[in-house]
Amino acid sequence: MSIFAIQFLAGILFLSTIFLHLTKKNFGAVTAYSVQSFAITLLLLNSFFETKSFHLLLVVLVTLLIKVIFAPTFFTKLIKKYQLTFSISTQLNTPLTLLTIVAFSAMAHSTMLSPLTAIIPEHETLLSLALSAIFLSFFLIVNHKGALSQIIGVLSLENSIVAFAIYAGLEQSPMLELGIIFDILIWSVIATVFVSMIYRHFGSIDTSVMKHLTD
Amino acid sequence: MELLIIMVSLFFAAIVSIWIKKGHQILEWISGLASIMMLFASALIARKVVIFGDYSPFALFSIDALGAILLLIISVVGFTVLIYSIPYLRKETAKNIIGFTRVKEYFILLNLFLMAMVLAVTTSSPIFAWISIEATTLSTAFLISFYNKPSAMEAAWKYLIINSVGLLLGFFGTLLYFTSVSSADGTGLTTWQSLLENAATIDPLIAKIAFIFVLIGYGTKVGLAPMHTWLPDAHSKAPVPISALLSGILLNVAMSVILRFKVITDSIDYSFSQNLLIIFGFLSIFIASFIIFTQKNYKRLLAYSSIENMGIMALGFGFGGPGIFVAILHMIYHSLIKSSLFLSAGNIFLKYNSTKIANVRGTISALPITSVIFLTGFFAITGAPPFGIFLTKLSIFSAGIKLHSAITIITIFLTAILFVGFFKHASRMIFGEKPNEITQEKENIWLIFPPLILLALALYLSFYPPPFLHTLITNAALGY
Repeated sequence: MSIFAIQFLAGILFLSTIFLHLTKKNFGAVTAYSVQSFAITLLLLNSFFETKSFHLLLVVLVTLLIKVIFAPTFFTKLIKKYQLTFSISTQLNTPLTLLTIVAFSAMAHSTMLSPLTAIIPEHETLLSLALSAIFLSFFLIVNHKGALSQIIGVLSLENSIVAFAIYAGLEQSPMLELGIIFDILIWSVIATVFVSMIYRHFGSIDTSVMKHLTD
Repeated sequence: MELLIIMVSLFFAAIVSIWIKKGHQILEWISGLASIMMLFASALIARKVVIFGDYSPFALFSIDALGAILLLIISVVGFTVLIYSIPYLRKETAKNIIGFTRVKEYFILLNLFLMAMVLAVTTSSPIFAWISIEATTLSTAFLISFYNKPSAMEAAWKYLIINSVGLLLGFFGTLLYFTSVSSADGTGLTTWQSLLENAATIDPLIAKIAFIFVLIGYGTKVGLAPMHTWLPDAHSKAPVPISALLSGILLNVAMSVILRFKVITDSIDYSFSQNLLIIFGFLSIFIASFIIFTQKNYKRLLAYSSIENMGIMALGFGFGGPGIFVAILHMIYHSLIKSSLFLSAGNIFLKYNSTKIANVRGTISALPITSVIFLTGFFAITGAPPFGIFLTKLSIFSAGIKLHSAITIITIFLTAILFVGFFKHASRMIFGEKPNEITQEKENIWLIFPPLILLALALYLSFYPPPFLHTLITNAALGY
């Protein structure tokens, strides 16, 4: 895969994370996550072409199945079932959210974190973008009050870490990667079940209404 | 072979339980047998580690002295908790709080939880350890929301999200350590040993950043402040036996992962990881000491005591030298005593139907044996003599007084505050006039026996730590 294609995929990862912050509709967030996961799948596919490892192809297929198809379908069904069209409000308003996004992106590109982005010097920009996506995904979880947005935030964080690992040449054995994806699958199922349970108990997936842990 | 026995028996117990349609006793027997197998196999593994050193039964697995200690803790506490769970769940079923499906769910998840912890402490792969620790989150999330109440749901959600985010940060830190052994084809299995052997080649700055991520990530699971917020909620909402496992075992399992990364970081800069452990340990003790005063729920009280004790351990590991030996000893005592305290708190809950301190009075007349166990456990956990924790706290403070005198002196003061705060609540619960609606009945021997055994074991180990355990702790202290 050409360097432009790899840069394009890094751009998709970064932009999809920003889109997750700005979208007001849950369906838009799920679609953005699906697109982001597809970009990760293509990055893994690129690794397969480089190594020609059959096990890595298996990882690509499982990633495609779980992250691009299965998890988004699961979330879409949840949105339709409980009519969760619009996402819950955020802790910070849009201008402040944008300012924080800029701050985190600047931090990821700063010299302070240059030991991380210089792991492979020729991938410095790519690693900076992946690091930005890590920070922004973390911020997404903190900033969003909706349970579904938090789930997508966690999954986006995982995608960003995987992208960072690929760009830094830190991919692990396919067997362990399959273990991680299996973990993500179970996590997605459990988190989705929890969203349903939260909706049934609280009549909303807004986590700020959960105030029963006072004593 | 022994490790395989543990895995197969726990997995088999979980899977078979899924197919059981009726009969509590079958569920209890299957899980009971699995935990007995785990107990014996763990003892055999520990024996092998004492005699031959690190034990690697097959690829991806290697058990060192610390792993053997944790395996023993998982087995002993796991077995005792399982024995306690049987009458506890029967009582809850009799009160119509839960039905058969819930009991089945409990035993399935309990076995998977124990299996995940065993995998985490026995694997030689840092990534596999991460997968296993993440699996502990997944297996316990539904156990925390077990009672299906809004507050339990909230606690479980908080637990799931905070721990998942924490563990992902830990995963990122783990990957950064791999820069020293990265393979272009990505097919190599990186082990703790290979990371340690290649530690000299890692960029010191990357290693430091990686350790920060690991400490924050796995520190969330350990319950170190300020990432501790999930812990009191989860411990107070989960069924009591699960709280005992969370506090008594899981926190230590996560701590062991931090220690493995500490060793790697120490080979680059010895003081960096030590200072961070001291800061986080001190902060945990500080927060727990003051929050404990305002607690209204006795399970939360015990949870904050766990945060304090994990802080003490972090201090011990941070001070280094003899501090490491006593921190491991403290880990053992804390596991046994805290599990005993949670189980006796379970007896109080079954009697008073409340976890609020204000609703519990005069337990000494309603539950005399449980009260004695609880009171003794309180003295033991707060570090009163003659219990081992008195000695371990004293030794950790001695290890720190010379180089970190200010922190050590403030910590001594904080532990005194914590003792007063804990005693204030414990004495209110135990003494005083019991409510009229609370009757005095003969206590169920099977609800008394498990916490009593754990406490007696802690007391016995305080005076006569057996030579094999001493060898294991010494070897573990040398390795970390």
